[in-house]
Amino acid sequence: MKTDTRLRIRQIVEDRGPQRPAELVKALGISAQALHRQLKLMVEQGTLIVQGKPPRTMYALAGVADFSRAFEWLDKKTLRENPKDTVCETRDVLTARLSPLKNLTKQGLSPEDLPLLISTVGEIGNNSFDHNLGQWRDVPGCWMEVQVTGNRLWVCLADRGQGIYGSLSKTNKGIKSDQTAIETAFEKFVSGRAPEKRGNGLKYVKNTILGDADRGIACISGSGVVQYGNWGSDCESVLKKKFVTVRGTVTLMVWRLG
Amino acid sequence: MKIKLAKFGEILTSREAGREAALAIKAYQKPAEGEIVELDFEDVLAVGPSWLGEVLAALIAEYGKSRVVCLPSENRSVIESLNILKAEIS
Repeated sequence: MKTDTRLRIRQIVEDRGPQRPAELVKALGISAQALHRQLKLMVEQGTLIVQGKPPRTMYALAGVADFSRAFEWLDKKTLRENPKDTVCETRDVLTARLSPLKNLTKQGLSPEDLPLLISTVGEIGNNSFDHNLGQWRDVPGCWMEVQVTGNRLWVCLADRGQGIYGSLSKTNKGIKSDQTAIETAFEKFVSGRAPEKRGNGLKYVKNTILGDADRGIACISGSGVVQYGNWGSDCESVLKKKFVTVRGTVTLMVWRLG
Repeated sequence: MKIKLAKFGEILTSREAGREAALAIKAYQKPAEGEIVELDFEDVLAVGPSWLGEVLAALIAEYGKSRVVCLPSENRSVIESLNILKAEIS
Protein backbone atom coordinates (compact mmCIF):
# COMPACT_ATOMS: atom_id res chain seq x y z
CA MET A 1 0.00 0.00 0.00
CA LYS A 2 2.81 2.41 0.98
CA THR A 3 4.79 1.38 -2.09
CA ASP A 4 1.69 2.11 -4.13
CA THR A 5 1.48 5.59 -2.58
CA ARG A 6 5.12 6.23 -3.45
CA LEU A 7 4.50 5.15 -7.03
CA ARG A 8 1.54 7.52 -7.22
CA ILE A 9 3.63 10.38 -5.79
CA ARG A 10 6.35 9.71 -8.34
CA GLN A 11 3.81 9.64 -11.17
CA ILE A 12 2.22 12.92 -10.10
CA VAL A 13 5.59 14.69 -9.81
CA GLU A 14 6.68 13.25 -13.14
CA ASP A 15 3.49 14.37 -14.89
CA ARG A 16 2.98 17.75 -13.25
CA GLY A 17 6.52 18.81 -12.30
CA PRO A 18 7.68 19.87 -8.81
CA GLN A 19 4.83 19.72 -6.26
CA ARG A 20 4.08 21.30 -2.90
CA PRO A 21 3.03 18.93 -0.10
CA ALA A 22 -0.42 20.53 -0.04
CA GLU A 23 -0.90 19.74 -3.72
CA LEU A 24 0.11 16.13 -3.15
CA VAL A 25 -2.21 15.78 -0.15
CA LYS A 26 -5.08 16.98 -2.33
CA ALA A 27 -4.17 14.77 -5.28
CA LEU A 28 -3.66 11.63 -3.19
CA GLY A 29 -6.41 12.08 -0.62
CA ILE A 30 -4.14 11.13 2.30
CA SER A 31 -3.22 12.97 5.50
CA ALA A 32 -0.33 15.44 5.61
CA GLN A 33 1.43 13.22 8.18
CA ALA A 34 1.17 10.17 5.97
CA LEU A 35 2.41 12.13 2.99
CA HIS A 36 5.44 13.51 4.85
CA ARG A 37 6.43 10.02 5.96
CA GLN A 38 6.46 8.94 2.31
CA LEU A 39 8.23 12.08 1.10
CA LYS A 40 10.97 11.68 3.73
CA LEU A 41 11.53 8.11 2.63
CA MET A 42 11.59 9.04 -1.06
CA VAL A 43 14.17 11.79 -0.41
CA GLU A 44 16.31 9.34 1.58
CA GLN A 45 16.07 6.82 -1.27
CA GLY A 46 17.17 9.47 -3.76
CA THR A 47 13.93 9.39 -5.74
CA LEU A 48 12.92 12.97 -4.88
CA ILE A 49 14.82 16.14 -4.07
CA VAL A 50 13.63 19.06 -1.97
CA GLN A 51 13.52 22.44 -3.67
CA GLY A 52 13.16 25.76 -1.82
CA LYS A 53 12.59 26.40 1.87
CA PRO A 54 9.45 26.29 4.02
CA PRO A 55 6.77 27.45 3.51
CA ARG A 56 7.46 27.14 -0.23
CA THR A 57 9.08 23.72 -0.20
CA MET A 58 8.54 21.67 -3.35
CA TYR A 59 9.40 18.10 -4.17
CA ALA A 60 10.89 17.29 -7.58
CA LEU A 61 12.19 14.13 -9.19
CA ALA A 62 15.88 13.68 -8.48
CA GLY A 63 18.24 13.57 -11.41
CA VAL A 64 15.79 14.99 -13.93
CA ALA A 65 16.81 18.05 -15.87
CA ASP A 66 14.54 20.90 -16.89
CA PHE A 67 15.24 22.18 -20.38
CA SER A 68 11.92 23.93 -20.85
CA ARG A 69 13.61 27.14 -22.07
CA ALA A 70 15.39 25.23 -24.81
CA PHE A 71 12.23 23.41 -25.80
CA GLU A 72 10.20 26.64 -25.95
CA TRP A 73 12.88 28.24 -28.13
CA LEU A 74 12.89 25.26 -30.46
CA ASP A 75 9.11 25.02 -30.60
CA LYS A 76 8.34 28.67 -31.39
CA LYS A 77 6.84 29.06 -34.87
CA THR A 78 8.96 32.08 -35.65
CA LEU A 79 11.71 33.92 -33.84
CA ARG A 80 13.37 37.26 -34.50
CA GLU A 81 16.22 37.00 -32.05
CA ASN A 82 18.01 34.53 -29.83
CA PRO A 83 18.66 34.59 -26.10
CA LYS A 84 22.36 35.41 -25.94
CA ASP A 85 23.18 33.33 -22.87
CA THR A 86 22.36 29.95 -24.35
CA VAL A 87 22.40 30.24 -28.13
CA CYS A 88 25.70 30.20 -30.02
CA GLU A 89 24.87 32.14 -33.18
CA THR A 90 28.19 31.36 -34.81
CA ARG A 91 30.65 28.51 -34.71
CA ASP A 92 33.20 30.74 -33.00
CA VAL A 93 30.85 31.32 -30.08
CA LEU A 94 30.22 27.58 -29.80
CA THR A 95 33.96 26.91 -29.74
CA ALA A 96 34.47 29.58 -27.08
CA ARG A 97 31.75 28.01 -24.91
CA LEU A 98 33.39 24.60 -24.98
CA SER A 99 36.31 25.78 -22.87
CA PRO A 100 34.28 26.55 -19.70
CA LEU A 101 33.16 22.90 -19.69
CA LYS A 102 36.53 22.27 -18.03
CA ASN A 103 34.98 23.53 -14.78
CA LEU A 104 32.68 20.50 -14.71
CA THR A 105 35.52 18.47 -13.19
CA LYS A 106 34.92 20.53 -10.03
CA GLN A 107 31.38 19.16 -10.01
CA GLY A 108 32.47 15.56 -10.30
CA LEU A 109 33.11 14.89 -14.00
CA SER A 110 36.14 12.64 -14.18
CA PRO A 111 39.23 14.20 -15.84
CA GLU A 112 39.34 11.19 -18.18
CA ASP A 113 35.79 11.89 -19.35
CA LEU A 114 36.33 15.62 -19.89
CA PRO A 115 38.00 15.32 -23.34
CA LEU A 116 35.22 12.97 -24.48
CA LEU A 117 32.48 15.27 -23.22
CA ILE A 118 34.00 18.36 -24.87
CA SER A 119 34.61 16.59 -28.17
CA THR A 120 31.11 15.09 -28.33
CA VAL A 121 29.49 18.45 -27.56
CA GLY A 122 31.74 19.98 -30.20
CA GLU A 123 30.79 17.38 -32.81
CA ILE A 124 27.04 17.76 -32.22
CA GLY A 125 27.19 21.55 -32.03
CA ASN A 126 29.33 21.92 -35.13
CA ASN A 127 26.87 19.75 -37.04
CA SER A 128 24.30 22.51 -36.56
CA PHE A 129 26.53 24.88 -38.49
CA ASP A 130 27.84 22.35 -41.03
CA HIS A 131 24.36 21.38 -42.16
CA ASN A 132 22.33 24.53 -41.72
CA LEU A 133 24.37 27.39 -43.11
CA GLY A 134 21.87 29.24 -45.29
CA GLN A 135 19.15 26.78 -44.23
CA TRP A 136 17.99 28.15 -40.85
CA ARG A 137 14.23 28.47 -40.38
CA ASP A 138 14.76 32.00 -39.06
CA VAL A 139 17.37 32.69 -36.37
CA PRO A 140 20.78 31.05 -36.79
CA GLY A 141 22.60 29.12 -34.14
CA CYS A 142 22.85 26.26 -31.77
CA TRP A 143 21.31 26.13 -28.29
CA MET A 144 23.82 24.76 -25.80
CA GLU A 145 22.87 24.29 -22.16
CA VAL A 146 24.40 22.26 -19.37
CA GLN A 147 22.61 21.23 -16.19
CA VAL A 148 23.71 19.20 -13.20
CA THR A 149 21.15 17.26 -11.20
CA GLY A 150 22.38 15.00 -8.43
CA ASN A 151 25.06 12.76 -9.90
CA ARG A 152 24.10 13.47 -13.49
CA LEU A 153 25.40 15.95 -16.03
CA TRP A 154 22.97 16.84 -18.82
CA VAL A 155 23.82 18.65 -22.05
CA CYS A 156 21.12 19.87 -24.43
CA LEU A 157 21.97 20.97 -27.96
CA ALA A 158 19.32 22.13 -30.42
CA ASP A 159 18.93 24.07 -33.63
CA ARG A 160 16.17 25.58 -35.71
CA GLY A 161 17.63 24.19 -38.91
CA GLN A 162 16.47 21.94 -41.74
CA GLY A 163 16.67 18.74 -39.68
CA ILE A 164 18.62 15.58 -40.41
CA TYR A 165 16.23 14.35 -43.11
CA GLY A 166 16.42 17.74 -44.87
CA SER A 167 20.19 17.47 -44.92
CA LEU A 168 20.73 13.79 -45.75
CA SER A 169 17.89 13.21 -48.20
CA LYS A 170 19.30 15.70 -50.71
CA THR A 171 22.35 13.57 -51.41
CA ASN A 172 21.15 10.13 -50.28
CA LYS A 173 18.08 9.33 -52.35
CA GLY A 174 17.43 6.10 -50.47
CA ILE A 175 16.53 8.01 -47.33
CA LYS A 176 12.77 8.40 -47.36
CA SER A 177 11.82 9.26 -43.79
CA ASP A 178 12.91 11.16 -40.70
CA GLN A 179 13.45 7.86 -38.89
CA THR A 180 15.70 6.40 -41.58
CA ALA A 181 17.60 9.67 -41.75
CA ILE A 182 18.33 9.90 -38.03
CA GLU A 183 19.32 6.23 -37.77
CA THR A 184 21.59 6.62 -40.78
CA ALA A 185 23.19 9.73 -39.31
CA PHE A 186 24.14 7.92 -36.09
CA GLU A 187 24.98 4.54 -37.54
CA LYS A 188 26.31 4.82 -41.09
CA PHE A 189 29.17 6.73 -42.67
CA VAL A 190 27.20 9.08 -44.89
CA SER A 191 26.90 12.84 -44.97
CA GLY A 192 24.53 15.45 -46.29
CA ARG A 193 27.54 17.30 -47.65
CA ALA A 194 28.67 14.92 -50.39
CA PRO A 195 31.03 14.92 -52.21
CA GLU A 196 32.91 16.08 -49.11
CA LYS A 197 34.24 13.13 -47.14
CA ARG A 198 32.34 13.48 -43.90
CA GLY A 199 29.89 11.64 -41.73
CA ASN A 200 31.79 10.25 -38.77
CA GLY A 201 30.93 12.81 -36.09
CA LEU A 202 27.68 11.29 -34.82
CA LYS A 203 29.12 7.77 -35.00
CA TYR A 204 31.90 9.02 -32.72
CA VAL A 205 29.28 10.50 -30.38
CA LYS A 206 27.32 7.23 -30.31
CA ASN A 207 30.45 5.14 -29.67
CA THR A 208 31.50 7.46 -26.86
CA ILE A 209 28.13 7.19 -25.17
CA LEU A 210 28.18 3.40 -25.52
CA GLY A 211 31.70 3.35 -24.07
CA ASP A 212 30.45 3.63 -20.49
CA ALA A 213 27.45 2.10 -18.74
CA ASP A 214 26.43 5.38 -17.12
CA ARG A 215 25.84 7.54 -20.14
CA GLY A 216 22.99 8.13 -22.52
CA ILE A 217 21.84 10.16 -25.49
CA ALA A 218 18.59 10.77 -27.33
CA CYS A 219 18.00 12.81 -30.45
CA ILE A 220 14.82 13.90 -32.21
CA SER A 221 14.72 15.42 -35.68
CA GLY A 222 11.43 15.71 -37.52
CA SER A 223 9.52 12.63 -36.37
CA GLY A 224 12.70 10.54 -36.16
CA VAL A 225 13.97 9.46 -32.75
CA VAL A 226 17.04 7.54 -31.61
CA GLN A 227 18.45 6.83 -28.20
CA TYR A 228 21.64 5.02 -27.17
CA GLY A 229 23.26 3.99 -23.92
CA ASN A 230 21.86 2.73 -20.65
CA TRP A 231 20.59 6.19 -19.77
CA GLY A 232 19.33 6.94 -23.28
CA SER A 233 15.74 6.19 -22.32
CA ASP A 234 15.96 8.84 -19.57
CA CYS A 235 17.01 11.38 -22.19
CA GLU A 236 14.28 10.25 -24.55
CA SER A 237 11.60 10.55 -21.87
CA VAL A 238 12.71 14.13 -21.11
CA LEU A 239 12.48 15.02 -24.81
CA LYS A 240 9.28 13.10 -25.46
CA LYS A 241 7.44 14.95 -22.70
CA LYS A 242 7.63 17.99 -24.93
CA PHE A 243 8.04 16.77 -28.49
CA VAL A 244 6.47 14.33 -30.88
CA THR A 245 8.13 16.01 -33.82
CA VAL A 246 10.84 18.65 -33.95
CA ARG A 247 11.40 21.24 -36.65
CA GLY A 248 15.18 21.16 -36.60
CA THR A 249 17.11 18.89 -34.28
CA VAL A 250 17.36 18.45 -30.52
CA THR A 251 19.88 16.24 -28.72
CA LEU A 252 20.12 15.48 -25.02
CA MET A 253 23.11 13.71 -23.45
CA VAL A 254 23.58 12.55 -19.87
CA TRP A 255 26.87 11.62 -18.17
CA ARG A 256 27.58 10.33 -14.67
CA LEU A 257 29.31 12.64 -12.22
CA GLY A 258 31.43 11.37 -9.35
CA MET B 1 59.37 16.60 -37.90
CA LYS B 2 57.14 16.95 -34.88
CA ILE B 3 54.01 19.12 -35.09
CA LYS B 4 52.65 20.23 -31.73
CA LEU B 5 48.90 20.31 -32.28
CA ALA B 6 48.32 22.27 -29.06
CA LYS B 7 49.61 25.28 -31.00
CA PHE B 8 46.30 25.20 -32.87
CA GLY B 9 44.31 25.31 -29.62
CA GLU B 10 43.58 23.06 -26.68
CA ILE B 11 40.13 22.16 -28.08
CA LEU B 12 40.16 20.95 -31.67
CA THR B 13 36.69 20.10 -32.88
CA SER B 14 35.38 21.54 -36.12
CA ARG B 15 36.10 20.51 -39.70
CA GLU B 16 36.48 24.12 -40.66
CA ALA B 17 39.22 24.65 -38.06
CA GLY B 18 40.82 21.34 -39.04
CA ARG B 19 40.99 22.42 -42.67
CA GLU B 20 42.60 25.72 -41.70
CA ALA B 21 45.10 23.93 -39.48
CA ALA B 22 46.01 21.54 -42.30
CA LEU B 23 46.59 24.40 -44.72
CA ALA B 24 48.77 26.19 -42.17
CA ILE B 25 50.81 23.05 -41.49
CA LYS B 26 51.36 22.44 -45.18
CA ALA B 27 52.33 26.07 -45.77
CA TYR B 28 54.66 26.67 -42.87
CA GLN B 29 56.01 23.33 -41.71
CA LYS B 30 57.84 21.63 -44.51
CA PRO B 31 59.43 18.27 -43.71
CA ALA B 32 62.66 17.25 -45.41
CA GLU B 33 62.29 14.71 -48.18
CA GLY B 34 61.31 11.37 -46.72
CA GLU B 35 61.06 12.80 -43.19
CA ILE B 36 58.27 11.49 -40.97
CA VAL B 37 55.58 13.98 -39.93
CA GLU B 38 54.69 13.30 -36.29
CA LEU B 39 51.50 14.72 -34.80
CA ASP B 40 52.00 15.41 -31.10
CA PHE B 41 48.84 15.67 -28.97
CA GLU B 42 50.57 16.78 -25.77
CA ASP B 43 48.63 19.62 -24.05
CA VAL B 44 45.61 19.10 -26.30
CA LEU B 45 42.53 18.92 -24.08
CA ALA B 46 40.04 17.53 -26.59
CA VAL B 47 40.01 16.59 -30.24
CA GLY B 48 37.12 15.41 -32.39
CA PRO B 49 37.18 13.20 -35.48
CA SER B 50 36.00 16.07 -37.69
CA TRP B 51 39.06 18.20 -36.92
CA LEU B 52 41.51 15.32 -36.91
CA GLY B 53 40.02 13.78 -40.07
CA GLU B 54 40.60 17.00 -42.01
CA VAL B 55 44.20 17.30 -40.81
CA LEU B 56 45.08 13.66 -41.46
CA ALA B 57 43.43 13.60 -44.88
CA ALA B 58 45.33 16.70 -46.00
CA LEU B 59 48.70 15.55 -44.66
CA ILE B 60 48.35 12.02 -46.00
CA ALA B 61 47.42 13.41 -49.43
CA GLU B 62 50.52 15.60 -49.33
CA TYR B 63 53.12 13.26 -47.81
CA GLY B 64 51.66 9.76 -48.07
CA LYS B 65 50.25 7.53 -45.36
CA SER B 66 53.59 6.05 -44.37
CA ARG B 67 55.07 9.46 -43.51
CA VAL B 68 52.23 10.71 -41.25
CA VAL B 69 52.28 9.35 -37.72
CA CYS B 70 50.10 10.13 -34.70
CA LEU B 71 52.23 9.96 -31.56
CA PRO B 72 50.75 7.89 -28.73
CA SER B 73 48.40 9.74 -26.39
CA GLU B 74 46.42 8.78 -23.31
CA ASN B 75 43.79 11.40 -24.11
CA ARG B 76 40.63 9.40 -24.71
CA SER B 77 39.27 11.80 -27.30
CA VAL B 78 42.44 11.22 -29.34
CA ILE B 79 42.15 7.44 -28.99
CA GLU B 80 38.45 7.34 -29.86
CA SER B 81 38.81 9.78 -32.75
CA LEU B 82 41.60 7.68 -34.26
CA ASN B 83 39.46 4.57 -33.80
CA ILE B 84 36.58 6.06 -35.75
CA LEU B 85 38.93 7.41 -38.44
CA LYS B 86 40.72 4.10 -38.99
CA ALA B 87 38.47 3.08 -41.87
CA GLU B 88 38.83 6.49 -43.47
CA ILE B 89 42.61 6.53 -43.17
CA SER B 90 43.22 2.96 -44.36
